[in-house]
Amino acid sequence: MNKRLDNYFDIPFYIPKSHVSTMQNKTGTWRFARPIYQEKLAPCSTACPASENIPKIEYYLSQGLIKNAWETILYENPFPSICGRVCFHNCEKECNRGSFDESLSVHNIERFIGDKALSENFEQTDIKLPLNNKKIAIVGSGPAGLSAGYFLSILGYNCHIFEQKNSPGGLLRWGIPEYRLPKDILDKEIARIENDRLKIFLNQEVSKSFINDANGAYDAIFLACGLGKTAKMNITGEEMCIDGLKFLEKVSGGINPEIKGNVAVIGGGNTAIDVSRVLLRLNAKPSIIYRRRKQDMPAFSYEVNMACEEGVIIHELLSPLSINKENKYVLEVLKMKIDGISNGRMQVISDENQKQTLEFDHIISATGSKPLKDWYMPDDNRKMINLSHIVFSNKDIPVLYGGDLTNQILSVTDAIASGKQAAIALDIFFENGFSNILETFEKYYGTDKSQVSMEAYLKKNEQKNTGIVFYKDLNVDYFEKQARVNPKKIDKKESISSFKEIEQTYDDNEVLTEVIRCINCGICNQCDNCRIFCPELAIDFTNNERVINYDYCKGCGICIVECPRNAMSLEEEK
Amino acid sequence: MKEVIEGSQAVSEAVRLAKTKVIAAYPITPQSHIIETLSEYCAEKIMDARFITVESEHSAMAAVIGASSTGVRSFTASSSHGLALMHELLHWASGARLPIVMAEVNRALGPGWNIWMDQTDSLAQRDTGWIQLYCEDAQEVFDTTLQAFKLAEMINLPVMVILDAFFLSHTYEPVDIPAQEIVDKFLPEYKPKVQLDTSNPFALGQMTPPEFYMEMRYSIQMAMKKVIGLFENIENDFFEIFERSYGTVEAVQCQDAEIIMVMPGTAASTCRYVIQELRDQNHKVGLLKLKMLRPFPTEIIQKILANTQKIAVLDRNCSFGLGGIFAQEIRACLCNLDKAPLVFSYISGLGGRDVTQSILKEIYWLTKKNQNPKYESIWVGLDKNNLSKID
Repeated sequence: MNKRLDNYFDIPFYIPKSHVSTMQNKTGTWRFARPIYQEKLAPCSTACPASENIPKIEYYLSQGLIKNAWETILYENPFPSICGRVCFHNCEKECNRGSFDESLSVHNIERFIGDKALSENFEQTDIKLPLNNKKIAIVGSGPAGLSAGYFLSILGYNCHIFEQKNSPGGLLRWGIPEYRLPKDILDKEIARIENDRLKIFLNQEVSKSFINDANGAYDAIFLACGLGKTAKMNITGEEMCIDGLKFLEKVSGGINPEIKGNVAVIGGGNTAIDVSRVLLRLNAKPSIIYRRRKQDMPAFSYEVNMACEEGVIIHELLSPLSINKENKYVLEVLKMKIDGISNGRMQVISDENQKQTLEFDHIISATGSKPLKDWYMPDDNRKMINLSHIVFSNKDIPVLYGGDLTNQILSVTDAIASGKQAAIALDIFFENGFSNILETFEKYYGTDKSQVSMEAYLKKNEQKNTGIVFYKDLNVDYFEKQARVNPKKIDKKESISSFKEIEQTYDDNEVLTEVIRCINCGICNQCDNCRIFCPELAIDFTNNERVINYDYCKGCGICIVECPRNAMSLEEEK
Repeated sequence: MKEVIEGSQAVSEAVRLAKTKVIAAYPITPQSHIIETLSEYCAEKIMDARFITVESEHSAMAAVIGASSTGVRSFTASSSHGLALMHELLHWASGARLPIVMAEVNRALGPGWNIWMDQTDSLAQRDTGWIQLYCEDAQEVFDTTLQAFKLAEMINLPVMVILDAFFLSHTYEPVDIPAQEIVDKFLPEYKPKVQLDTSNPFALGQMTPPEFYMEMRYSIQMAMKKVIGLFENIENDFFEIFERSYGTVEAVQCQDAEIIMVMPGTAASTCRYVIQELRDQNHKVGLLKLKMLRPFPTEIIQKILANTQKIAVLDRNCSFGLGGIFAQEIRACLCNLDKAPLVFSYISGLGGRDVTQSILKEIYWLTKKNQNPKYESIWVGLDKNNLSKID
């Protein structure tokens, strides 16, 4: 039936159709802007005192490459299990994901990685440079001293760490209570960094003359003795107070100080918080006496909140005047009121001289801390360089001061940054001399002069300041809202009646759910959007590498826009 | 078996029975019922087709162009502003010689905002290279849609099947819907002449310099010329199976007519009654129903109209500054005849206003009484109250 139609006629049919390859049309000649792959800094990393490459760590973990993730941390920080627990995680405050839904739980992920490495005995790939003939003395085995030893041993130095007490760790051991940092974690992470080049000598008190006599025995000294003494309040009866630092040290050493009843804790720093929370666990009733308000406390706010949740009472705007002993201890205080901000801090003044007396069974002072000995601090300004986390003093041999002695922020991670800075500064000194220290540091700074990466220094990757990826730079169309995974906690009743760790480490499923929330700001995570969206098919993917074919890339910039995480940039064509 | 269905559903049923593979469309009144039915058929797997939802009519046409380029039977539907938005891509579809079928529901363009019957939308696309087929009733809509696929695929040109808003799209009529195997006999599987193929890559529609472009346009014109003969053959095939045919035009009592009324669409149905009534009163009047506007069946129309005295063309559209568009087409088609009939141009029934029997009779009497047609169109059925509001 259709025969007639099939033979009806030839259809006039002439259309533009070409089998010639369009490769001859080199659309790259149209280009006036050039896309490039350019990784950038993530705000979390720039907020990390230890300059950890957080997006890369999270990327490795999300791909199941936990050992790579762990080793990426170890370039910048020898203590992931410790920092995953005690770091104040400024990274999370700056996390871009926080502008989208909730910030990534970076510290819990770091803790998972660190704990996994401990429980499965990960062996670190050897990144150590060949041994040189230099020997460095380190005074103090707190986080700064241990880190300095760790980084110096990587750089090829022999190190001797001198610790006055009978165990290493400094503040990590004596200042941070067990419920925040279990001692077995501390012991394991310290044990891991010890090696042929790094020896810790315990029960070795170092005297001032050591500095003068060291020349010959050592090529440099790093002083990281910490702040071992509680600052004085200068009030009558002060000597009747229990020293907060010594109290914590006693408890950490396994001695129950037998403190019961109502206890006043004077101060607003992390020591005051730790003392109070320890008191709760000893069945005492702690009350913090602070001269400013709760929100003005120098303690990390999340620690303050946890203390309040546990039942620590905070009396704000009370300034201690005197202590008398009657049946109980009588604390006379002056009522304060706020007077406005000065030097970036809320100032308080006496509220019409109103006074008040409070009775306590014990009073503990936790009003800031000072170096145990005066000579721990740098004494002259000649031949001295001040870096963000250390002071480098060029005497007969270099003497460096670091850790809490010189740091602005008294945190474990800043102490680690101090140890790293000291190691790099010494290496530059021995390679290029004192006068080149500042200049060489410039090459390896991140976004500011407190940011220095050991990975960059080791690999001699001079840092180009490519800028920070902010939330506005992301293409968040590619992300779905997903709540942050919070780690399991032990029951509150159990937590305040024991020294058991409150938060649990993530399990394998929890960590994966959380880590894939990371946007991986500024780094390529192989999403392939650039290649998929290229209208000229000008991105080749061979040997696991993407290469832009500039013969055909017309510079439209679609790849830049479709890169969800800003790992590409558009440059003007020259 | 006959079913009582809407004109819109007559389209949907034909598209289903044509085993269309890709449908992309964007809803617009009065077309929406067509694609609503089809989207349900796709969702419920009654049809083995992909329904692509898009963000605009422009994208709908782009999607069916893409689908058709890969050699599958493709369909879309639109109306009014939606069709206007497709305009640029209508040229692409014909220039690329893609056998796309579209149902076009004749609707007015705003402002004033109006969803009712008017021919302006389809006539504005007259010169895009699409074959245009206007329908009178739901059965014709069904039959023409099936024929459109065959026509489009044989000649490699896109086809618009046009139906009046509401008078046809939303009116229930009995429609004979044949069984699948009978439709398959008429409309075999589509065998594309050209189709994109990743195993044999080539470029379609690329840059065409002056030394080639003109001949490509000539080839479209040559193909269009062959459509009229081809359509006749397709209708013969269709008649053998279904015993229905329509022609590119239909002449009703024209042989001895002194006045022939000319119009497409549903108004022709009304006109059939009017001329019968006038015939009963011994008036020599006929009706020429237009179905195919592009290509324009010039010779067929000339033969029918040449020996009459007067032609009255009804336009439900206006090319502002000149007048009714169908009248212009008829005039142009007759102008070189030795003794051309007089052509009277009337505009009525815009924006959904009814073309009643009395309006058609008024047109007849105006034509009968007048010996000198004006070049300008006469507007019939204007409301005096409304006119008084024109400053």
